[in-house]
Amino acid sequence: MGSRYLLRRILQAMLTIAGIVVLNFILFRAMPGSPERMSHNPNQSAAARADLRARWGLDQPLFPDQFARYISTTLQGDLGQSYKYKGQDVTEVIANRVWPTIILFGLGELIAIAVGLVLGAYSGWKRGGVVDYAGNGASLILYSMPYFLLGMILLVIFATALGWFPTAGMFTLGETYSSFSDQLLDFAHHLVLPLAAVSLGLIGQYSILMRSSVIETRSEDYITTATAKGLSESRVLRGHAVPNALLPTVSLIGINLGFIIAGAITVEVVFSWPGLGTLTQEALEARDYPVLQAIFLILAVTVVFANLVADIVYGRLDPRVRT
Amino acid sequence: MSASPVLLEPTGGRTRRWTTRAVGWRSFLSRLLHRPEGAIGVAIIVFFAVLALAPGIFVGPLETVTNSSGKRLEPPSLQHLLGTDNLGRDVLNLTVHGARISMLIGLLATVVTLVIGALLGIVSGFVGGRTDTVIMRITDFFLVLPTFVLALIIAPIVLDIIGTGEILGIRTTLFVIVIVIGITSWATTARIIRSQTMSVKERAFIDRARVIGSGPWRMMRVHILPNVTGLIVANAVLIFAGAILTETTLAFIGLGDPFAPSWGQILGASQDAGAPGLGAWWWYVSPGVCIVLVVLAFTLIGGALDDLLNPKARRRR
Repeated sequence: MGSRYLLRRILQAMLTIAGIVVLNFILFRAMPGSPERMSHNPNQSAAARADLRARWGLDQPLFPDQFARYISTTLQGDLGQSYKYKGQDVTEVIANRVWPTIILFGLGELIAIAVGLVLGAYSGWKRGGVVDYAGNGASLILYSMPYFLLGMILLVIFATALGWFPTAGMFTLGETYSSFSDQLLDFAHHLVLPLAAVSLGLIGQYSILMRSSVIETRSEDYITTATAKGLSESRVLRGHAVPNALLPTVSLIGINLGFIIAGAITVEVVFSWPGLGTLTQEALEARDYPVLQAIFLILAVTVVFANLVADIVYGRLDPRVRT
Repeated sequence: MSASPVLLEPTGGRTRRWTTRAVGWRSFLSRLLHRPEGAIGVAIIVFFAVLALAPGIFVGPLETVTNSSGKRLEPPSLQHLLGTDNLGRDVLNLTVHGARISMLIGLLATVVTLVIGALLGIVSGFVGGRTDTVIMRITDFFLVLPTFVLALIIAPIVLDIIGTGEILGIRTTLFVIVIVIGITSWATTARIIRSQTMSVKERAFIDRARVIGSGPWRMMRVHILPNVTGLIVANAVLIFAGAILTETTLAFIGLGDPFAPSWGQILGASQDAGAPGLGAWWWYVSPGVCIVLVVLAFTLIGGALDDLLNPKARRRR
């Protein structure tokens, strides 16, 4: 792959991240209120207040002094302290919540990509068939449904009415486990419904895209050629149509990550899954701005990276874009 | 159009142009309605638009804590077709009134998005050069950004700055949601409109307009804008669906206005009260179905429009 293409994409990604950091700085300053107002002390003398401002570096001009300081602390991984969890660093608060989200959405993505692509490819290939009709209808409805609504419906059916699965959390409260496998089993039991909500929500998007992509590919000349060569239908589909139809899907997976995050937040809230989503809602309720902004920073950087990876994969799959 | 427009046009040129356009739109609409998915989509939207215009006619005034008509959490019955919520409010009443809030926010957010997107797209494509580069860099930035998370952060900040109250009879909370959706979702529109503008710009009538001395703003308004309107309309349909979903999610997460309940707000309230755990499915299923129907309708119309505007794709389907 052309190294110039790679270099340019990496440079672009760096610039975007720089833009995100600057945006974060501006948002922080646009916030109502000021740190010294937070101390709520009417008896504080003017001198003491000035002293506080000096200690926090607020007496210096916004640009370049405060800006430079913000950049350097951010680069050092210091994102400030949480308002809600007093005395805890934002990074610490977030680190505790990252893994549940990664597990839930990583698995959800994998399942959705696998099922969505197969379903989409099959229904696009057998256009007008039973699978296409049912699959496309279901995909359209799933695509139009907010993830959390799907979660609430699954919850009321499978947890409240049938009692097959727990209604909330990641582990049974107050449970002591005799072995690690017991704990893992309990975790899996709690994971089923949120995971189902996430993957079902995503399947719709991938299958719709893959379907139209396969349909588009079908009328290409190389498919006609492959069929004319006498290849079996399944070989034409697997060897010629699917690899080409995958291209737009790859870039969609990168772009979609930003939207998936919106879903992540809400599904976690429905199931009280202790990940970044519930943290976001808690931070919103408590107006815990440092945590909110750190979440934005982390998610935005993740999305930029995902896009970069998708672009690189795309470049590897499709030689035409390597310029 | 004749070669000497200056001689022929002054008397009624403008009216003639508008009549031609109106005829074009009408035939376009009839072609849209002849496609099954277009007709279904339009029917659903018309249904909800009627509910949104006059919710009071169908279900009476919005029920609140003080004038709620039932007991708390009643399941659906003949008296309360869709049951009641935890304050004894009739869910049918809330859902019909929610149509007004949700559709209004969706509509306003779509308008804001399209104005920003179309303006930047047209200017970027028409002016070109450095302006184009700068605008497109910003657009790319917004395309990559997880805009929903940005909206989550901007909304409370703007809310805290403006405070609650009313502007033009609409609660500021709703305005904030509209503006936040607008400033976070214009990027795709700008991209699409820009590329169309660049192609329109190369046509002969733009040269003609330049020769007779039209300024850049006039050319963009009179010559470019009408030629990208079709694209803006097609885009509006998808933006509307996205705006409804974003509003729903923002309201669900707690940024809605409890005094102006949208569908998302009802869903959020039911989640906060633990409705799924209590088995009170009726509380959130009806507003949920409304959201799905509206988004589905716009998606169907979008697909039908795509087929009509994009003949190449139409042949293939």
